[in-house]
Amino acid sequence: MRIDFGTLARRGFLGLIALFLAAPLIVVVSVSFNDTRRMSFPPTAFSLRWYEAFFGDHGWMSSLERSLTIAALAAAVAVLVALPITYAIWRYQARVARALAGVGAALFLIPGVVAALMLSAFWGVTGHVGRLENVVLSHAIVLLGIPLSLLSVGFSAIDKAQVEAAHTMGARDSDAFRMVVRPAMTPYILCAFVFVFVLSINEYLIAYMVAGFTVQTLPIRIFANMRQGYEPTMCVAAVIFMTLGFAAFILMSKLADLPRLMGRTRPLEA
Amino acid sequence: MSAVEAPFALSAPADRQGRDRWVLTGLLAGPALYIALMAVVPAFLMVQISLAHRDVGGLWSPGFELTQYRQLATPLFARVMGFSLLLAACGAAICVALAFPAAYFITRMRRRAQVAWLVFLLGSLSLSEVLIVFAFQVLLSTSGSLAGALTAVGLLAPGQSLYPNFPAVLTCLVYLLLPYVILFFYPALSQLDPEVEQAAATMGASRLTTFATVIAPMMRGQILTGVLLVVIFTFGAYLTPLVLGRPPQWTIAIHINNAAMAAGNVPLAAAYAVAVVAFMVALLALTRILSRRPEAAA
Repeated sequence: MRIDFGTLARRGFLGLIALFLAAPLIVVVSVSFNDTRRMSFPPTAFSLRWYEAFFGDHGWMSSLERSLTIAALAAAVAVLVALPITYAIWRYQARVARALAGVGAALFLIPGVVAALMLSAFWGVTGHVGRLENVVLSHAIVLLGIPLSLLSVGFSAIDKAQVEAAHTMGARDSDAFRMVVRPAMTPYILCAFVFVFVLSINEYLIAYMVAGFTVQTLPIRIFANMRQGYEPTMCVAAVIFMTLGFAAFILMSKLADLPRLMGRTRPLEA
Repeated sequence: MSAVEAPFALSAPADRQGRDRWVLTGLLAGPALYIALMAVVPAFLMVQISLAHRDVGGLWSPGFELTQYRQLATPLFARVMGFSLLLAACGAAICVALAFPAAYFITRMRRRAQVAWLVFLLGSLSLSEVLIVFAFQVLLSTSGSLAGALTAVGLLAPGQSLYPNFPAVLTCLVYLLLPYVILFFYPALSQLDPEVEQAAATMGASRLTTFATVIAPMMRGQILTGVLLVVIFTFGAYLTPLVLGRPPQWTIAIHINNAAMAAGNVPLAAAYAVAVVAFMVALLALTRILSRRPEAAA
């Protein structure tokens, strides 16, 4: 067999990138199973004591619960806002809906710290400070671009001929919606929800600036602990993040055509 | 034929348009209110605060003064912006150089491998900056194995740490951004017609030549927007320079946050933020101009 230098170089390059991206994760996971209190890598002895400490600690658990609640609500709000907008663009080509989607896209131009400042100023002026719903509504607006783009991919994938056929056969809009649109859109809605959920649960700066002192989310607690010095339970929290994230995206790849969702329109055979 | 564009035009009774308008109003009223309240109002508010009068104790009163904008003319602001831009430029160069070929290779894989890469990239992209910064801290610390290995071969003095410094900040930023940039290039590169490469190959071009002289120039607009993405993210990054850098490596994000939270000078933070957004809009306009393809050159 001829050794193909190009293939070898390509594999090597991708392998190095994968290694670079995996390295910090490997460090955190292995340190979380380490027996000593010292921050040391490679780990010395295997132990589950930090997991016991994490799940037995009221503070960590309440932060985890708070983060999960915020993420679920933020994802629901973002999807509920994006769904009518993308539907109106697809179904009516409505100019207002396009403008709203444009605002959602323009938010990507705003660096994270600026968005955090804008929103904290907003909540400050309303006098509604340090509340959980502040974080929910703030996360939903900043992440709105994600459901907007994923749902519009979903709508564009619906076979319009099928909808047309339903109409020709006398179906009303609501029937066509139930028979064609809803089943076609369900996986995309779930994917958008999962994506926003995962990003919200990991977000630090906005949560900290709109409600940080009173609503301690998991990232805020990890960072607060980091400032006070190293504690291995932080690694356990980190491992939970990772597990949740990867599980969510594996689920997404089962629910929908991931390459298409990420913007590939050219067909890809198995 | 307009029917291709508007599949619902088949049945269009006279009262249809009127009813559509009501349906649309019902659909969009909620989202419009939410977006107006959470995006448009805060944006105007920020501009207003940047012009407001600063009161003691982190408060401000409405006004119209340019006191805070005068701070933008100070050497401190120029230095911080200059450093943020330098960091972003280094990050963008590295990210694009790595992400563009990586995305290209991934789009040429079989479906299973592609899905696996996408899951891996999405998973690492969504990880909290807090977590990544923390992992880098462990990795680069004195007791870490990396420092140990470098000390063993004599590249690092014993007891010395690999952070805080500029390379640590840059490496962590590249780490945070690489999955974003790869996923950003993914759609455009996956749309690329394989026939283009085949044609180039028939004409005797090697794969590397094809990549550098045919594919990369075709994607000029994408590459420039990818650079913009890195710049936006770098200017917004807060934790990475804070934890892995020293004060000279503090980006504008830290100064915005310090002005707002620690110094209690929200108008100054707002003025900084307005300047940063204006800078981003200018960069966006620049990328649009640069990615416009001159007709004659094709």
